[in-house]
Amino acid sequence: MLETFIAALSQTVTFLPMAVALYISFNILRAIDMTLDGSFVLGAAIFARLVELNVSPVIAAISAVLSGAIAGIGVSIMQRGQKIDSLLAGVLATFILLSGNLLIMGRPNISLLSQVTLVSRAFQNSQLLGWILVTLLSGVFCLIICAILFTKLGLILRALGDNPNLLARRGKPIELYRLLGFAMTNGLAAVSGCLTAQTIGYADIGMSYGMTLTALGTVILGKQILSMGLSMHKFNIGKEFGACFIGVLFYFFAVNGLLRLEINPLYLKMLLGTILIGFLRLAGIAKTRGQI
Amino acid sequence: MKNIVLSLNNVGLNLPDVSHHILKNISCDIHDGDFIILLGHNGCGKSSLLKVLDRRYQMTQGEVLLYGKRLETYSPAQLAKQVITLTQDPRESLFPSLTVLENCILVSPQTRRSFFLDYLYQFNKNLVTKLDTVVSKLSGGEQQALVLALTILHPPKILLLDEHTSALDPQAAITLMATTSQIVRKHHITCILSTHDLNLALNYGEKILVLADGKLAHSIDFEQKKNLNTQDLLRVCY
Repeated sequence: MLETFIAALSQTVTFLPMAVALYISFNILRAIDMTLDGSFVLGAAIFARLVELNVSPVIAAISAVLSGAIAGIGVSIMQRGQKIDSLLAGVLATFILLSGNLLIMGRPNISLLSQVTLVSRAFQNSQLLGWILVTLLSGVFCLIICAILFTKLGLILRALGDNPNLLARRGKPIELYRLLGFAMTNGLAAVSGCLTAQTIGYADIGMSYGMTLTALGTVILGKQILSMGLSMHKFNIGKEFGACFIGVLFYFFAVNGLLRLEINPLYLKMLLGTILIGFLRLAGIAKTRGQI
Repeated sequence: MKNIVLSLNNVGLNLPDVSHHILKNISCDIHDGDFIILLGHNGCGKSSLLKVLDRRYQMTQGEVLLYGKRLETYSPAQLAKQVITLTQDPRESLFPSLTVLENCILVSPQTRRSFFLDYLYQFNKNLVTKLDTVVSKLSGGEQQALVLALTILHPPKILLLDEHTSALDPQAAITLMATTSQIVRKHHITCILSTHDLNLALNYGEKILVLADGKLAHSIDFEQKKNLNTQDLLRVCY
């Protein structure tokens, strides 16, 4: 049980920035940004390739985050003036990034096992130290985003998702704010990809398969779990991030638990999807009864 | 003689999916501080005319001059400072998922709770206790009062009211209209109100414009209005 929990916790730490990115795009900007899949691999690909070329891991990590932000800016420009639907723009951007990531890596897979990364030395000392460092890195980025959402910029981003027409009527540059929002979320997805590559020891072109949908599921799950005990009507940054954390932890706990029960991995996603549906149904019933 | 604020010259409007002309050759001058009432049957073009004036619709004929400058030469930010529209759905003018306080902070450099507590009290006493309530949880009357309060934080030169009391119960509508009229006069705002309420037209309007099939059918000034009752107005408008 403890081993399952520790495994889930370690996966949660690296995946949390991705879940927060999805939360911001889905709940705040009110767009399902499929680019996050591509930006996740982009972060891993840029980091792995630069480290392989003997670039300092710090510079490689900063480049990875910036590359994600640039991907976000690209997808935002694609949607400019609502010329292309956000969902379609995200799918197209991911499609383009598939080739882009292959071009960056030069091959489908780069191993980082023999490379010096941001966390390799800490992991060589002890597993615990390594995971503390990964947690710190993941936490710092999530806290930066948390701090931004506390500011007036954060309030404007929430207003943008809520009523973009009103914001435009008030003369605010909504395309600029959308661009900032997407840069933030895709930068976070790249952080997640970069950290994942370092902890699993490789960057792979297929490592983000289904990540956006998984993140969406975990965010919804987290909100439903938290709303059983707390009111989620009013925006509260602590509750929202707490919901992301709980959702991701629950998801990975379920994955690891099922694997330890020797469930055939072929059925894994099917079972997790069914669990998610069950939770959503329960939450829906509770909501109609006024319990939430 | 009052200054001309808005000048409409042969304004016409066609919309892509509508075969007939929505507005046809509308010409009139609106003066500083006027309280104009727009009357007419459903579909006569009242709301469309207001949408032309706040540039949600692009006129297809004629010109509108705002302080002598063509309307289209104003940037969205400049126009937003001059012209504000309140519609019958207050959610169009609010951020429904944000709280009352957050909605206030978005339009004001002020962030102090105490400032907004005092300020909102003038518009609706209930709002004072609901500063941290999500706007979508407020009643229709409270939402409209909040929209009005936010509008007056930076008083516009022109206020367009598109049947903004029509979704409220009679008492809430009377209260809101009285507050609106008081605020408009206090800040010397030019106001154009589109409505079907003839009592409202007679009580508040200084000038009544009657639209029929997209045309300006009648213009009733303050002196003429004094001699009219609701029955007379009913015959003229419908």
